[in-house]
Amino acid sequence: MKYAQDIANATQEIFSSMIMLDVVPGEPFQRDGTKLLNGISGIIGLAGEVKGLLSIHLPNKASLDITTAFLGMDVEEVDEDVCDAVGELANMLGGSIKTILDPSGSKVQISMPSAIHGEEYAVDCLTDSESVAVPFTFNDQTFTVELQIGPKSL
Amino acid sequence: MEFAKKIVETTEEIFSTMIFMDIASEPPFEEGKQVLGCHVSAMIGLTGSFSGMLGIHCPENVGLAISGAMLDMEIDEINADVKDALGEIANMAAGGIKERFAAENIDLELAIPTAISGKSYTISSPTKSNRLIIPFRVEQGRFFIEMKYNLN
Repeated sequence: MKYAQDIANATQEIFSSMIMLDVVPGEPFQRDGTKLLNGISGIIGLAGEVKGLLSIHLPNKASLDITTAFLGMDVEEVDEDVCDAVGELANMLGGSIKTILDPSGSKVQISMPSAIHGEEYAVDCLTDSESVAVPFTFNDQTFTVELQIGPKSL
Repeated sequence: MEFAKKIVETTEEIFSTMIFMDIASEPPFEEGKQVLGCHVSAMIGLTGSFSGMLGIHCPENVGLAISGAMLDMEIDEINADVKDALGEIANMAAGGIKERFAAENIDLELAIPTAISGKSYTISSPTKSNRLIIPFRVEQGRFFIEMKYNLN
């Protein structure tokens, strides 16, 4: 899908300006239904002329480091602060992608974010949608940002 | 805005017309309660006059029973059919809520549904948002319809 570069740019900009972390994008891929282990995901819906879902999937350790950098406080376990920080990351990424999908600013809106965490879970898209995932690395850690765009909306 | 009433009406309508299962709503949980012991969920974002997210959360046996009834087939594990069925229920529930709000001139748009499944997961909403969870009882146990929202 064509949005891989936009996802890379949006994610790098948010991480460098809000979290003070340099993240490096890797080769875009199609995420299959692989289970996520000991991780946390932030999701946010896009609705209006374009319908979709933006998600960020992080191993626990990456979420703790990012939350620590983001909030400027030490966090040691995936708690409410981490869930809020990951939800807020999804919110910022969703807002940034929205401006790319909808330059006029009036045709697409973002929903409320939600965070999912656990020892073993899967996040699957259901509609017959197009999707692209971009992996990122920072300080030997990785995370993935994924965009799914629903049918009939492109 | 009578969220609870809209959710109960919509859910009862879906189960009586599309799934043909008897359900009974129980009193809503308010703030801060986690839905525990669920193995399959579907969620969908809502935007417009307010932003929100609607979810359906089921323990495994209840998820299998609901999707089996909806698809009229025997299902013995959480597979793509179960996720699709719950995603469709989330989509229909959000659509029903959208219609009910539209009658009050409150406009909403729907995103696309996503499924969460696994042995152990917890779903959180932003600390400052409103969250309403309504349990529904079926023969096999309970499932939960959750609505979280921020009034803009």
